[in-house]
Amino acid sequence: MAMVVDQTVAEIESSGYSTTTTTTTAEDEHGCNWNDWSPMVDWDAISGSYDDFHDLLVESITEDNSTAALHPHPHHDPAVAIANMEAEMSGGGEDLKGLRLVHLLMAAAETLTGVNKSHDLARVILFRLKELVSPTNGSNMERLAAHFTDALLGSLQGSGGVHSKHMQNSGSHHHNHNHRDDDYRQTDVVAAFQLLQDMSPYIKFGHFTANQAILEAVAHDRRVHIVDYDIMEGIQWASLMQAFVSRKAGLPAPHLRITAVSRTGSDRRQSIGTVQETGRRLIAFAASIGQPFSFHQCRLDSDETFRPSGLKLVRGEALVFNCMLHLPHFNYRAPESVASFLSGAKVLNPRLVTLVEEERGPTGDDGGGFVTRFMDILHHYSALYDSLEAGFPMQGRARALVERVYLGPRISGSLARLYRSRDGEYCGRCWGEWMGVAGFRPHSVSFANHCQAKLLLGLFNDGYRVEELGNNRLVLGWKCRRLLSASIWTGPPQISDD
Amino acid sequence: MTIEEPEPTQSSDQWLDSIVDTIPCFSSLLVDLYGDQWWDQAQDVDPERVNTAIVATSFTSTTTTPPDPIASSDPQPFDSSKKRKASNHRVPKASGNRGKNRNRRTNEANEQGVTVKKSVGTKRGSVKSAGNNCNNGNNREGRWAEQLLNPCAVAITAGDQARVQHFLYVLHELASPTGDANYRLAAHGLRALIHHLSSTSSVSGGAINFTSTEPQLFRKSLTGFDMVSPWFIFPNVIANNLILQILSEQDHWSSSTLHIVDIGVSHGVQWPTLIEALSRLPGGSPPLVRLTVVGAEASDHDRSKDIPFAIGPPGYSYTSQLLCFAKSMNINLQINQIDNLPLQNLNAQIINSSPEETLIVCAQFRLHHLNHNSPDDRTEFLRVLRSLNSKGVILSENNMDCSCSNCGDFATSFSRRVEYLWRFLDSTSAAFKRRESDERRVMEGEAATALTNLDEMNEGKEKWCERMRRVGFAGEMFGEDTIDEARALLRRYDSNWEMREEEEDGCLGLWWKGQPVSFCSLWK
Repeated sequence: MAMVVDQTVAEIESSGYSTTTTTTTAEDEHGCNWNDWSPMVDWDAISGSYDDFHDLLVESITEDNSTAALHPHPHHDPAVAIANMEAEMSGGGEDLKGLRLVHLLMAAAETLTGVNKSHDLARVILFRLKELVSPTNGSNMERLAAHFTDALLGSLQGSGGVHSKHMQNSGSHHHNHNHRDDDYRQTDVVAAFQLLQDMSPYIKFGHFTANQAILEAVAHDRRVHIVDYDIMEGIQWASLMQAFVSRKAGLPAPHLRITAVSRTGSDRRQSIGTVQETGRRLIAFAASIGQPFSFHQCRLDSDETFRPSGLKLVRGEALVFNCMLHLPHFNYRAPESVASFLSGAKVLNPRLVTLVEEERGPTGDDGGGFVTRFMDILHHYSALYDSLEAGFPMQGRARALVERVYLGPRISGSLARLYRSRDGEYCGRCWGEWMGVAGFRPHSVSFANHCQAKLLLGLFNDGYRVEELGNNRLVLGWKCRRLLSASIWTGPPQISDD
Repeated sequence: MTIEEPEPTQSSDQWLDSIVDTIPCFSSLLVDLYGDQWWDQAQDVDPERVNTAIVATSFTSTTTTPPDPIASSDPQPFDSSKKRKASNHRVPKASGNRGKNRNRRTNEANEQGVTVKKSVGTKRGSVKSAGNNCNNGNNREGRWAEQLLNPCAVAITAGDQARVQHFLYVLHELASPTGDANYRLAAHGLRALIHHLSSTSSVSGGAINFTSTEPQLFRKSLTGFDMVSPWFIFPNVIANNLILQILSEQDHWSSSTLHIVDIGVSHGVQWPTLIEALSRLPGGSPPLVRLTVVGAEASDHDRSKDIPFAIGPPGYSYTSQLLCFAKSMNINLQINQIDNLPLQNLNAQIINSSPEETLIVCAQFRLHHLNHNSPDDRTEFLRVLRSLNSKGVILSENNMDCSCSNCGDFATSFSRRVEYLWRFLDSTSAAFKRRESDERRVMEGEAATALTNLDEMNEGKEKWCERMRRVGFAGEMFGEDTIDEARALLRRYDSNWEMREEEEDGCLGLWWKGQPVSFCSLWK
């Protein structure tokens, strides 16, 4: 285990990138020096033994206020409930406002569906919320409530009228395009991405855990072929290449071939550049560090269905399917498309499938009702916001950019989908469970991998936690809330190549 | 007399002007339903007589002797030019309804056009449109406050504390004493729910209602309200007409005493019109008019026992004013005030009735407060009324389902009270044309006591009629004149008001947006 981490420490250069990054400096970095793209962790600073960090990581974690606000405390006596409420009301303060906002949001969600459906009441509540909050001002809960309010208002307004079907189908996207495209530039997207990288472990957690599993699985292979479902800016592979070329024990870097799945429609809105640009950058980077590398694309069908036949496979290659979903800066991918990719993986029997996806709260077998799911999303983003703030309390402007570019659109997208499915089937699903059902076999997360994740989180706020679920899944959480999980799989047993 | 009386004609117009000034929205609606001059006369009454009158109000009776010819001529000659000038502000009566509604719609349109502002302090203005598209009473669209209040009451009944608290939070955010009827309903409802949940009744402190109002404002509120809403004046006017109808059916009415037992909530406002009408009867007025006012029982500390609209502020008395007014109209009026008497204890001795007089009982919005279930005080009292051998009993009541604790759990009774208050607030919203005023606050605050009132409350019209028949009363048809006048009266008000004649039992119903509000009936 130490070996792997040592390698990483040796190979990943400290960028010296300050945590007090502003948007201006981020724009200056747009030159795409890969060193700047690599993980910003100063590994040398923490080169002590794991035990030291273990102590750090297991420090008791206190419940924060905003999380408590999501669980209005039960009272046994109505009079006590009243007294407490009045005391809270008169007490004022940020926590109280957060509590008020949560109650209003929940009430708004309740009016949108079910027996108590009332669009009049929904409007009244949402207008009240609009008066109370702004997406760019106030506490986390206030800004978050503003995004939720806008999203619900958008759903509500799109839900009526003759063209409701059409509106529902494209509502959220139109909303985003109309309101977002104009007011942020590509440089903002780059800056927001870098900030997100620096401010939180979310992106690196997914990349590092997947890469470590890949490194371990292909340790003795000469040729490695990775099929990547959503390559984005490709930064995951820069760090993998660095790890490959600097392996100790005289292991030569294997030949790495990456096939990036690409989409017909342009969705560079939140991406940094196109798949082609990513490919060019990766090729240049591989050349600069002496990593044998080739880059391919595999285009999805127009309905974003993945066809395994579109892949060019070479005998003797260790095949890896990499599926990063729902990272904070990622675009939404339709479940059908993801399913086609993972089904394709099953057919091709890869050495490894690495999957990173968002964690959902316990909402019951059926995914819970609309309100339950709504509150779960609120809880999720509340934890996300709090984690960003806890790590970088003074960087309000930087966080605002991340929220505006990534989180706000993510929230409206999530809620719009939730609203569309409110009376129907729950469209969100846990892909890890899906893979288990589909016949993939869990592949153990190594102890080293687990430690690496702990080490990573140790560099951020104490509130981050990592836990192992099953034996093939690492979950990243903020305090008591699970946010993101990475799971490792291999192909179904009946066509095992061993 | 040592104090010089100002000239009545002058003060009459002053009174009119002051009303117009202080309640701007009334100007288009001013109606001559009252003898305009009775209030101002009373204001300028001889202090000695006021003292006598105040002393005399409880359990005693005061009689005015018919005024001497000189005094009686005083109020008669109006300064006609001045009066006409004041009338110029009024919308012509025939088109008054439509003109007013047009204004209302314009206001609505303006309000809907307002965009949401971020600034604090504009909590209400921007959102008002949400609740105002309710044109049909059966249509619950636009009625959002009850969608928080009623589920909260259900949660209270179910003992679900988390839900209760959730609804209280939301109500707290949305409730407002101003704004459209929903915001007001939410505010009153929230107050009532907290009152219900609190062991102490201290929460209700600071509430605006009749008993907490200055007598001056109270009087202004009552008279002003009648000008903008038929809620009370409609049954009052019908009752007065029914009294005249009964009178005209008697053989020797012009020689026998007219005795009216007033069990009502009008606080004297109803009677000037009747007195004026009596003074104009072609065959001459009754030699003596006795008015026995049966006051509601006021509980000193616990407002939750009080009947909405029944108890005036302490120190308020209209006896002297009414006596003066009667004097000016050449009516020999005797007022007998009976306070603090449980209705059940009423009998012929207490009201001191005699077989020779024309006895008429006028019960309005009071009897629904009597227990109707173990013991059935309600029926018992109707039997008492029957035993009085009156020439007629006029019964006006809210036409709504019973919200007592025997007829449903807390959630059920609360939702019925909410329904009652909604109709009131929705109608006052139209009546006051969304303008705020002290008068409006007083009337709405008093109506809202219905939510905290824990006693018997309301009963449907059919049940009332059945109850009346059971004790031996027979329903009487209304005269054409009465119906015509009621119809004419209603035309002066918002077009959502509606009068419905019930052929079956001869009742006249008052409806708001297709929903029953109250009914008037005559029984013999």
